[in-house]
Amino acid sequence: MGARESKITPQDRAILDLKVQRDRLKKYSKKIQLVALREKEIAKEALLTGNKRKALLALKKKKYQEVLLEKTETQLINLEELTQTIEFALVEKEVLAGLARGNEILKEIHNEISLEQVEQIMEDTADAIAYQNEIEELLSGKITEDDEEEIMQELEAIVEEQIASEINASMPKVPDVELPTSTKDDIQSKVPPKKEEQQMLAA
Amino acid sequence: MSAFDFPSIYNFPPFFTQQPNEATWQTQAQLWISIILSYCRFYKIHRLDLSDALTTELFYNKSINRRLKLETLQSIIKMMIKQGLAEWDPPNKKTSAFIYWKKPEEWATSISNWVSENGLNNSIVTLYEIAHGEASEGTEFHEIDQAVLLKALDVLVKKGEAQTLQATNAEEMGVKFFGTG
Repeated sequence: MGARESKITPQDRAILDLKVQRDRLKKYSKKIQLVALREKEIAKEALLTGNKRKALLALKKKKYQEVLLEKTETQLINLEELTQTIEFALVEKEVLAGLARGNEILKEIHNEISLEQVEQIMEDTADAIAYQNEIEELLSGKITEDDEEEIMQELEAIVEEQIASEINASMPKVPDVELPTSTKDDIQSKVPPKKEEQQMLAA
Repeated sequence: MSAFDFPSIYNFPPFFTQQPNEATWQTQAQLWISIILSYCRFYKIHRLDLSDALTTELFYNKSINRRLKLETLQSIIKMMIKQGLAEWDPPNKKTSAFIYWKKPEEWATSISNWVSENGLNNSIVTLYEIAHGEASEGTEFHEIDQAVLLKALDVLVKKGEAQTLQATNAEEMGVKFFGTG
């Protein structure tokens, strides 16, 4: 029981009192509306029986009830506003508390990370990276220095071979056909092939 | 509001007399229970005053001029209590009873859902607000009987999902729902 009791704060009680008050006003305004309605009925009935005085009195009463109703409504709005302000203030308080807690934790974490430590770690990291680079240079450097020329030569050889084979592949067509045109045209025909090739095939 | 649609058995005269055969009576009572439950659900009735109810259309079919006897109704209510569908109120008298077309646990669930849907967790809500407020309009528990509502809230309190508190004048009650939703 004690543990449960603690969940209800004095603010909760204050809010409840306000809300109860609001409920009471609501009930009251419901009642007034009913009374006003009844007065109207009474007035109608009185008029039917020709009792004008009674009808007038009933209407006056109705008017009075309506004034009361209006007053009640203003009070209701005031109450609701107050309750909402309090509830909002409570929310704000919680937000603030949340922020404060977050801040504290952030501070704690920062305490654990000192600037010197960070500097030290960064330096160590830089050292490690430099060391790694050195190792890489050493390992890769040996291979490239010795073999780079050889590799380049091999590459060139392959490229040349390819070019040669390409030329050879397209060459045999040339002597098969009797062409009055010069070799210049022949080379041109290779570059933009479409039309001339078709002509060649036709011939 | 359209009127409640009674099943055809309602127009069968012997249905209003307690049948001597035990098996028949059981079936008859079950039928009555289902009629009572759907009737109360239809008109949102939470509490039946037995002698008053006997004069209403629920137990008095004017078109065939048959009405249920008080003792018969009491036996039916007893069966409902056994099934957890009703409860005498006050407990020691057999004059009126709560009719649980939703059991307090089920009411508790609907209220708890409503609280979550309306973001009312951790704020104070008055009982009047739950039963008659604008926020609960359209819910099944709108215009719920105060005593039934208290029973439902009691379920939530026992689960630790809510706590009731009294206003300064001790007549009005409020409830705080905790942030479970």
